[in-house]
Amino acid sequence: METRIKSKVFEQFSEATSTLLNPVLKDWKKQGGKIVGYFCSTVPEELITAAGLAPFRMRATGSTSTEQSDAYYSSINCSFPRHCFNLALTGEFEFLDGVICVNSCDHVRRIFDNWKRFVPGTPFIEVMSLPRKTEAAQVAWFRDEINLLRGKLEKHFGVKISDAKLWKAIKLHNETRRLQKKLYELRKQEKPPITGAESLAVMVAGTAMPKAQYNNMLRALLDELSGIEGPGDHRARLMIVGGILDDPAYVKVIEDQGGLIVTDSNCFGTRNMWIEVNESLKDPAEALARWYVAERPSCPRFYGEHDNRTKYVINMCREFKCDGVIAERLLFCDSWLVEHYMLGQDLKAVGIPMLKLDREYITGAVGQLRTRVQAFLETMGR
Amino acid sequence: MLVGGCDVGSATGKAVVMKDGEIISYEIIPSTTKPEVTARTVMDKAIEKAGLSSIADLQYIVGTGYGRLKVPFANENISEITCHAKGAQWLLPTVRTVVDIGGQDCKVMSLGANGRVLEFVMNDRCAAGTGRFFEAMARVLDCGLQGLSNLSLQSKNPATITSQCSVFAESEVVTLVNEGMDLTDIVAGLHASIASRLNSMVRKVGLVEDVALTGGCAKNEGLAKALEDKLGVTVKKLPLDPQIAGAIGAALIAAERVSKQTMKSPA
Repeated sequence: METRIKSKVFEQFSEATSTLLNPVLKDWKKQGGKIVGYFCSTVPEELITAAGLAPFRMRATGSTSTEQSDAYYSSINCSFPRHCFNLALTGEFEFLDGVICVNSCDHVRRIFDNWKRFVPGTPFIEVMSLPRKTEAAQVAWFRDEINLLRGKLEKHFGVKISDAKLWKAIKLHNETRRLQKKLYELRKQEKPPITGAESLAVMVAGTAMPKAQYNNMLRALLDELSGIEGPGDHRARLMIVGGILDDPAYVKVIEDQGGLIVTDSNCFGTRNMWIEVNESLKDPAEALARWYVAERPSCPRFYGEHDNRTKYVINMCREFKCDGVIAERLLFCDSWLVEHYMLGQDLKAVGIPMLKLDREYITGAVGQLRTRVQAFLETMGR
Repeated sequence: MLVGGCDVGSATGKAVVMKDGEIISYEIIPSTTKPEVTARTVMDKAIEKAGLSSIADLQYIVGTGYGRLKVPFANENISEITCHAKGAQWLLPTVRTVVDIGGQDCKVMSLGANGRVLEFVMNDRCAAGTGRFFEAMARVLDCGLQGLSNLSLQSKNPATITSQCSVFAESEVVTLVNEGMDLTDIVAGLHASIASRLNSMVRKVGLVEDVALTGGCAKNEGLAKALEDKLGVTVKKLPLDPQIAGAIGAALIAAERVSKQTMKSPA
């Protein structure tokens, strides 16, 4: 992807986002470090860090085909598990020392069943059970899940994940959140020094390397960007809302039409960092459970939280001075299907225009995307 | 003031030349595999028809349609969604809902009184409800595109066709043909199936009268009637070829740009 920012550290982020096993992870591995992959931002990666492992959020970057994996799925499964599982079958994930799945949605949950049976040789494979509601009973349930996984990680990797270690990891990950938030603060400027596509590359890179190293790199990037102005030649400022969006090239198609993405409600974006894990509790597992189930900006897989999600989008739009919202979802994504309609109605009521986009996990059909975005900007009189 | 609109679609290229707010010529040609060639050829033809000598006679040209980025002589490109809405409203000022059925997609736009698009929906990649779909069906039924319209209007008992995918619909049609069903009923069934898909798209932006059809498929009266049945309202006929609505809209935007420029720099 062609980018505007000329910076060594940004290039490293960009490379990490456009590959699976990036140079930082390769070095980590060379020094004897282990890497554990996890599906979905609802798996507490702090646990993986606390076990002395590098967390890696699963994606299928670079996949070009689903011909091996299609046999394992039906015609209504979305393209994300197909591409991921195809890479698993072709050996692209052999660098992983473990994989943690979660029932974030049924499509992703089924990766666990297939992986366990058909991808022999993964040393550690587990699945977490994530509740659907956000009340105290579900927080308690997820705290138990966290402690179960904690025990399994300890046993398999021969480590002790003490409360002290877990708190240390939480603090480290909160530091990541604070730094990422600073990056977003820069995007509030009238002429942001970084585009939405570039920001996404920075965010995705954060899920593909040890956090301590990432934080240092991000600090360096923030230094480089502070006091800098972008060209400010956009036609409109937009917020993007949706699910597994890890491809900066998709965002770039939108931005090439003149719609600058300045913020988001995405799981590679603000939903993962806008709020920090509460460091003042006694039990770190409790703190994590509260954050992952109830406190963080909500994802539509959770029941009864729609109004809060709408409020979040409206507040974000105001804070970042957005002219409109682009809501994207993967074709066949069940978590987002009704959400888009309801969100569209809510935003209409407060005068925020919204464009709905269905997409495939691997960016294609760019012509249709371009036409929709261009027409959307035109309807806003931009 | 002489301006032009050039709509390079997936199936046809359309060009309109306007003089002082009136259409003085228009042309439609089949698209080639080179959008810039399609654009140049159709524009040259329209220019010739208008009695002008070259593209240079036009003060401003707007390109639209799938090939809009490849109109070499355009001053600007505008999406076909905005252009179709603009063109349709110029042809019929009371229109508030435009259903455009082109070669490879269909879209529904809701319009404000000022002609601006309030909301729009577009079909996704699949060919259901597009010109390609009707071309495939006309081929299977060996009746030509005009034949589809004529046959459909004669039907007394439309078939139920459940597939909207053009490939599956084709095999469904072949089954019905082999069962000996009357062709008029099969075609009417096809139109009803596409009309119900269009109906659900209309409901997404909200049905507000007047409703008009644009695009090449708007010429299919059998489809227009099926859509009227589903929507429960009259679908208004445009006073001019509905296939050039996008090119008209492009020319109208070109004219607006020229007036704005003139206002900015008084002679």
